[in-house]
Amino acid sequence: MLNDLPIRKIIHVDMDAFYASVEQLDNPELIGKPLAVGGSGTRGVVSAASYEARKFGVRSAISGVKARRLCPELIFVPPRFDRYKEISKKIRAIFLDYTDLVEPLSLDEAYLDVTENKKGNPSASLIAEEIRTRIFNEVGLTASAGISVNKFVAKIASDYNKPNGQKTVNPEEVLDFLEQLDIRKFYGIGKVTAEKMYQKGIYTGLDLKNKSLEFLEKNFGKSGTHYYYIVRGIHNSEVKPNRIRKSLAAERTFNKNLSSEVFLLEKLEHIAEEVSKRLTRSKVAGKTVTLKIKYSDFTLQTRSKTLPYFISDKSVVLETAKELLYQEKLNNSVRLLGISLSNLNTEKKIKKMEQKSVSAQLKINF
Amino acid sequence: MKFIVSSTYLLKQLQVLGGVINSSNTLPILDNFLFDIDNNALTVSASDLETTMSSTLDIESDSKGSVAIPARLLLDTLKTFPEQPLTFTVEENNTVEISSNHGKYALAYADGAEFPKAVALEDPSSTTIAGHILATAISKTIFAAGNDDLRPVMSGVFFQFSTDNLTFVATDAHKLVKYTREDVSASQVAEFIMPKKPLTLLKGILSSSEENVTIDYNDSNAKFTFENTVLICRLIDGKYPNYEAVIPKENPNKLSIDRTQFLNSVKRVSIFSNKTTHQIRLKIAGAELNISAEDIDYSNKAEERLTCDYQGDDMQIGFNSRFLTEMLNNLSATDVQLEMSMPNRAGILTPIDGLDEGEHVTMLVMPVMLNS
Repeated sequence: MLNDLPIRKIIHVDMDAFYASVEQLDNPELIGKPLAVGGSGTRGVVSAASYEARKFGVRSAISGVKARRLCPELIFVPPRFDRYKEISKKIRAIFLDYTDLVEPLSLDEAYLDVTENKKGNPSASLIAEEIRTRIFNEVGLTASAGISVNKFVAKIASDYNKPNGQKTVNPEEVLDFLEQLDIRKFYGIGKVTAEKMYQKGIYTGLDLKNKSLEFLEKNFGKSGTHYYYIVRGIHNSEVKPNRIRKSLAAERTFNKNLSSEVFLLEKLEHIAEEVSKRLTRSKVAGKTVTLKIKYSDFTLQTRSKTLPYFISDKSVVLETAKELLYQEKLNNSVRLLGISLSNLNTEKKIKKMEQKSVSAQLKINF
Repeated sequence: MKFIVSSTYLLKQLQVLGGVINSSNTLPILDNFLFDIDNNALTVSASDLETTMSSTLDIESDSKGSVAIPARLLLDTLKTFPEQPLTFTVEENNTVEISSNHGKYALAYADGAEFPKAVALEDPSSTTIAGHILATAISKTIFAAGNDDLRPVMSGVFFQFSTDNLTFVATDAHKLVKYTREDVSASQVAEFIMPKKPLTLLKGILSSSEENVTIDYNDSNAKFTFENTVLICRLIDGKYPNYEAVIPKENPNKLSIDRTQFLNSVKRVSIFSNKTTHQIRLKIAGAELNISAEDIDYSNKAEERLTCDYQGDDMQIGFNSRFLTEMLNNLSATDVQLEMSMPNRAGILTPIDGLDEGEHVTMLVMPVMLNS
């Protein structure tokens, strides 16, 4: 029926420990060893860990020091983003052999809409299988995949048989799948929200489903509405081949905490230059400048200002950032500074798209 | 083998039977009509393997035998004739020759034995119902049946027979129609799911028929017998969803309104709605119903006000206008009632007048969540 949104076939492909696997690929000596990509220094952060390292509890986003403590034999490798990008491009080329509806989330993750695909293959599971085989044969890396009717379920499913596996959640299984799912596995529900849900007696998808829309909206605001729908398998967000940027940022962590304004200003100039460079490269401009300050005690402060016009030029970005920096006295020595630009001149398009996907035809709950 | 038949009489029957034949068949024999001659009786059959329909005609003949004649070719030829007797002769060279007042036409035929046989129903139960009642039951429900291959049970109409009444239900999970007749009943309780295609055929044939239809059924097949015609079809296998459980009982907000006025407003306003969602908004406060729609992409907007009879709290609810239009169109009452509870719960549409004694219609429609 025309009024029925047809069932989509969405694949979420997620490379297994991407950065670490690339390093192992390029340097066979590292194979089978616990490996972390990132800075090993006092201020370094792990951006990816090999599966060997994950056994010790080394995960991305923990500090280098902590990682070293967890696993003394851990080998640190500095990241080589250009190389990752190169490989990511190859993988993306494989995706494009199947469909043009590819939405990259990052270098190592993407959504594919294969409802109509170039191979005319009606089985999304077989396509995922083929894509994973091709990635392995042509690039030498393993990937995991989740296959389902929308992005939300596909994303959760790709984690199910990781690494080097895939999981299909068929349309008729979606509701059961979501009902028995641990609330923490819901994409978008992190530690804090999960904690809040536990307090309300919500542990599984089924518990969540039993709550009324009014209840969820009262307790979780706008996200509550989102939860209400996703647990019913309603997630109409399309696979958008050109993901629209909402903000653009650059930041620096300093080797030593800084308190002198002169030094801070010098760093701010570098960051502003980087932001401006990225803005020009992405051909966007923004109205809102946000200054992020992380103090030595790890407390975070953001200050922002919205201008009446779009800016992308370094001098204007720096001028506004300076203004924000001087706006208030610093209350400690500074560990990190960052500048981000939002309210980009791409926003209008986003709003239009969102509004479309918000209204949802409800179904009879058989 | 030879027989004589009136051209328009034959054409009329063949046109009805032709509805069974698919436009493209994997089995070429199904592109034919089966002609079964037994002296003065000719039985013509058409089949798509799922559904087989046969009609018996009076002819002049003293032979016996069966042949399969290409349906398209025969229909195209018959359509062009004015009323006249036609003589069909089965020749030795695998052709059927038709002689008319104008000339002769030869069609290649296939052996009638190649044509698939309709199944015989084992241990059937039986119910008799007036043709026009069955036709009404079909036309009231069939539009609500789904097209989803993944849930085949919802692509048909659910027949639920009991000793008190007959109930017909169809749903596609967005809308649901339940049609009950208390003035007819079956000898025993039975349930089965009829596919859409044979129902569409039956609806067409029976709409103005005063004749009774005998329905024989078992677990896998159903057979409809009326006048000179028999239709046998395979049933949809599976369990029909528990529809009673989803029809809400407590609906404190009740709206009564003139059906035609409501329908016309919905149709007009929906022209301005979003082309994919067809979403319209009903805002009810006091005795006023406000119907509005908006297509943000094109800045199109429409709004109408109607007076209505309303009991309940002020509320706003969104619907797909196409569902409402279909449902309101399908009813014939002067006034209808729309019962609601919450903007995210089903609305129940029922006719207030215009029903026969013992006739009940309940329509359910799921709302569209409004984004503000």
